[in-house]
Amino acid sequence: MPPVGFSKGPAATPTSTHVPASGLVPVHPQGVTAAFGDTKMTPASCQTRAELKMEAVREPLKKVGTKGSLVTVGSNYIPVLCRNEAVYQYHVTFTPNVESLGMRFGMMREHCSTTGEVVAFDGSILYLPKRLDEVVHLKVQRRTDNQEISIKVQMTKVLPPYSDLCIPFYNVVFRRVMKILGLKLVGRNHYDPKSAIVLGKHRLQVWPGYSTCIKHTDGGLYLVVDVSHKVLRNDSVLDAMNLIYQQSREGFQDECTKEFVGAIVITRYNNRTYRVDDIEWTKSPKDTFTMADGSETTFTEYYRKNYGITIKELDQPMLVHRPKERSTPGQKVITGEILLVPELSFMTGIPEKMRKDFRAMKDLTIHINVSAEQHTLSIKQLLHNISTNQEALAELGRWGLETSSQILVTQGRTLPMETVCLQSASFVTPSSVDWSREVVRDSSISCIPLYCWAIFYPRRAAEHAKELVTTFGKVAGPMGLRLDRPIHVELRDDRTETYVKSIHSHLTSEPNVQLVVCILTGNRDDLYSAIKKLCCVHAPCPSQAVNVRTISHPHKLRSIAQKILLQINCKLGGELWTVSVPLKHLMVIGVDVHHDTSKKSRSVMGFVASLNSLLTRWYSRVTFQMPNEEIINGFRVCLLAALQKYYEVNHSFPEKIVIYRDGVSDGQLKTVELYEIPQILKCFETFPDYEPKLTFIVVQKRINTTLYSYFENRFGAPVPGTVLDHTVTNKDWVDFYLMAHSIRQGCGFPTHYISIYNTANLTPDHLQRLTFKMCHLYWNWPGTIRVPAPCKYAHKLAFLSGQYLHSEPAVQLADKLHFL
Amino acid sequence: TRHRTRRCNIVVCQKTTMSNLFSPPLYKQRHQFVIEFVKRFAPRKVLDVGCADCRLLTTLKVHRHGVELLAGVDIDCAAIQRRKHALAPLSSDYLVPGDRPLTIELYHGSVMEKEPCTKGFDLVTCIELIEHLDPGDVEKFSDGVFGYMVPHAVIISTPNAEFNPVLPGLTGFRHKDHKFEWTRAQFSTWALGICWKYGYSVEFTGVGEAQDRDVGFCSQIAVFQRDTELNAPVNNTYLVPQVYRLVCVVYPSLQDNKVFHRTLVSEVLYSAESLRRRWREERDGARSDLTSDICGSGSAEGQGVYRCGRSVRVPLLDVWASPRVQALCVDVQHLREALLAGSWVQLDTDGGAIVLPDEDEENEEEEQEEECGREFLHRREKTIMLFATT
Repeated sequence: MPPVGFSKGPAATPTSTHVPASGLVPVHPQGVTAAFGDTKMTPASCQTRAELKMEAVREPLKKVGTKGSLVTVGSNYIPVLCRNEAVYQYHVTFTPNVESLGMRFGMMREHCSTTGEVVAFDGSILYLPKRLDEVVHLKVQRRTDNQEISIKVQMTKVLPPYSDLCIPFYNVVFRRVMKILGLKLVGRNHYDPKSAIVLGKHRLQVWPGYSTCIKHTDGGLYLVVDVSHKVLRNDSVLDAMNLIYQQSREGFQDECTKEFVGAIVITRYNNRTYRVDDIEWTKSPKDTFTMADGSETTFTEYYRKNYGITIKELDQPMLVHRPKERSTPGQKVITGEILLVPELSFMTGIPEKMRKDFRAMKDLTIHINVSAEQHTLSIKQLLHNISTNQEALAELGRWGLETSSQILVTQGRTLPMETVCLQSASFVTPSSVDWSREVVRDSSISCIPLYCWAIFYPRRAAEHAKELVTTFGKVAGPMGLRLDRPIHVELRDDRTETYVKSIHSHLTSEPNVQLVVCILTGNRDDLYSAIKKLCCVHAPCPSQAVNVRTISHPHKLRSIAQKILLQINCKLGGELWTVSVPLKHLMVIGVDVHHDTSKKSRSVMGFVASLNSLLTRWYSRVTFQMPNEEIINGFRVCLLAALQKYYEVNHSFPEKIVIYRDGVSDGQLKTVELYEIPQILKCFETFPDYEPKLTFIVVQKRINTTLYSYFENRFGAPVPGTVLDHTVTNKDWVDFYLMAHSIRQGCGFPTHYISIYNTANLTPDHLQRLTFKMCHLYWNWPGTIRVPAPCKYAHKLAFLSGQYLHSEPAVQLADKLHFL
Repeated sequence: TRHRTRRCNIVVCQKTTMSNLFSPPLYKQRHQFVIEFVKRFAPRKVLDVGCADCRLLTTLKVHRHGVELLAGVDIDCAAIQRRKHALAPLSSDYLVPGDRPLTIELYHGSVMEKEPCTKGFDLVTCIELIEHLDPGDVEKFSDGVFGYMVPHAVIISTPNAEFNPVLPGLTGFRHKDHKFEWTRAQFSTWALGICWKYGYSVEFTGVGEAQDRDVGFCSQIAVFQRDTELNAPVNNTYLVPQVYRLVCVVYPSLQDNKVFHRTLVSEVLYSAESLRRRWREERDGARSDLTSDICGSGSAEGQGVYRCGRSVRVPLLDVWASPRVQALCVDVQHLREALLAGSWVQLDTDGGAIVLPDEDEENEEEEQEEECGREFLHRREKTIMLFATT
């Protein structure tokens, strides 16, 4: 049987389970006795035993809260049982040294009579489920020169079978099991093409599948299974190019770049997926390239010879993939570009055009958004398939693994409902966590009177614009908003230039304009970008863009107008609602980073900090950073500015600072703790005698953990405010999973919060409730959202700046939520 | 019996001693030889005896030239298990299913045993195999292949001992597992004996030529053929192996009714949908002329999309005009029958047109949900931005 080569390929899990490099592996007390109970008795090698005991047993972290009501929840974690009592780690040395990894593998394989068939070997470290002698000497003849090589295999550790060091090759084992079950690997997940759903109308196929990874959490070893869907297209890139060409000839190359760069394609001749980084218009399949052996060949010839494929279209450009430079020990460094033939590449993912087509998306989302019940059924199906497949069971059994047939069911809590306060009215949130009625019925906390504002619209939207203004007048009163008549500006056409020139001239001639409203016809990114650039950067003024389609239905105009007015109020610096937070002198900060999909431009960090104790005034900044640049440089600038602003407003500095940082993967947590936090603390030294308490919370929303409610043997969607803070949690940190939003369709994906640093000594209950409260404060949505509001604000700001402005918004707007 | 084939190891040793001698490498030349043969004689069923790491099968899978059944047998079960996933269909094979069926069967078993499943092949290949057999077993092997399997053609390759002096640094056999290496004369004596005994004709050739020395080819090859008709109809009933253990992979192909139907429906719906869209755009362009848009104005086939009651009809003839649909169905009648066989596509009563629901009817619903349309993009980011901005 083949050894598990865990050094090759992306054995890492989708969430890239963090494997500590140090030898210290925290283990559970009961696990240690189970694993070593009998081996301790042998006196022969007491010394190694003594070393083994060094694997310290750590106190479990205090992370369990008590507030709220108990509720039974399920999660997509499947307990994995380890039947073996231990996994043995050995160090392998070759004398004289053998450089080639492949040869090292081959030499070890020749001794499979000694090591057994079940092997995990990365070239120097060997893991076996069986115990060899302390030191084993082996001999082998090198084929190339008949040199005799001696191999020394020395035992270095006896690991409990659920050790973190084993997880990489357990993951490999599970990937193999998925293959045995007949699932196809596409990207990182496994899919079942035989159950494909064909959407003929769109020439799409949706493949159902799973993403799996092994995690060692507070509760032990688990297989985390998420249901995943892959959208594949029957069209090759060349087909799609032809379609674009038929539609627009002049902008063909630009359109193609927009459509294909950043897309993932799957090639026809192998099972690989590639990201398209560029299109090479000057190259074609007729061109030659140099093969590994140095000979030159054309692409057409190469595909004909190696894959028996005849390329039909000889005049097509080539797609460029630039692999990340990586060099694993002993393997070739991959550099340079990979050229792909459009005719032989299939598109994956949802086509850009389709994303905008609402009906088409509906066709698709029916299949993709599975309910909690379907989700659990799919997982159970997988577990069933594993347990009835002898080959799969044998594969798992090689390492003594066994999956439970049950989905994890445990005890969670539902946090108490919060009270939302408007200016004078206040109410406990309903169980649907939706207060869209209340916010338009009563006055907001504060409203900025609108004396001078201008509305721009093209001639054909004149009727709609007038209707909108009239409706504004009707609904403003009850909301406590004062609104004077606007300056009407009718544009002669709807070209971008016309809009920009007109807005610019009005803003310069009338410096008191508080707000610019633009009616746009159609979904036009370039126009939107131009207006926002003008109003956020060059001539700072809050601006509101309205698509004419959204206001073209008379019977819905009233509710739309109310929503737009609320949004305008936020943009002007008004305050809508809040929840009570007992912590005084507190500053809450949200940070998110926006990466450009084409990866060419810089990343943008959005930073939003609260300025008052009601948490209703926000200070926002963005910084741009080059790829590989540390985020912390820009962060310090923003933090200092926010602290100064806070001082201006409150005449004191905040005593407690809570930072919600989005976009940190598991693997980066240590880096954040060791590098970012000391620098933040250093920031405070800028001010004399200032030592605030700091809590730093990492927010992860792209995780593959789901939560289900569990009632009378049925799985469903959990209610908003459900929190789970044990069993599935990370054993190295204080963390919890919180589902703040309500689920309308699909399955419940909670957000993962990890407290990295906590000198404010907030208890688990504090952390959880504060976080839940913060999820109530996003003013663009009268309900709870899945991340704390400052994170969502930071996200919107970063997105606007990175996608449309391409520069920092003007400082004059920094104390308003101009980006909503 | 020790007659494991170790072709992978031979490759390793060739790399080191012969890599400078032959380009492309010798094993590739042997595979190329088989491919050329397959190309010329177009066998439908091919069996590779001693398939080891399945390299030849992998190559043949790519250059199939009409092969519908590829089988391999080896005594090394681990090698088969290791490689069988490499022979599985690619993701793209499900996106563009092949025209013809392809089944790959891998057997774990010994060539020495007689297995009914191995009968009836058009071509049997034994590449660098016989030299791994004990000399005493060769006759039993010959009887198994030529006397029992009785394929139409057999390709046998084996090292040519006369070539060994040319190979630098070689002492003894080319591989430690080789039990013998034949000269050209020994090989042809054996081969002619086979012909006489089992009624085959043989041709000798080889791959890997030596420069200016008359030692023959590095690998000598014998191609045996029977005088019977190639691709003679044999009963296609599936046989359960009796001695061997089977690992089987089936490729999606248009010959499979389910796959064909899925592909056809996908193409037909797409084609009908684009015809309807074009029709709508043209109609919207001439909105003023709404009165002419009534039922029955063009119900004859091939006259374009028309409306009938609450639905839109797309004539089958127009759909069949799409080259992709034409590639799947020979004529409109065939298309109609194929569509009627399933329930995915609704046809009108006389089977002349496809019935699609009228979009205008659905408009109302669409508008209501359009507001949160943007949010549909993010599966987990449900309904954050209901407000009415662009």
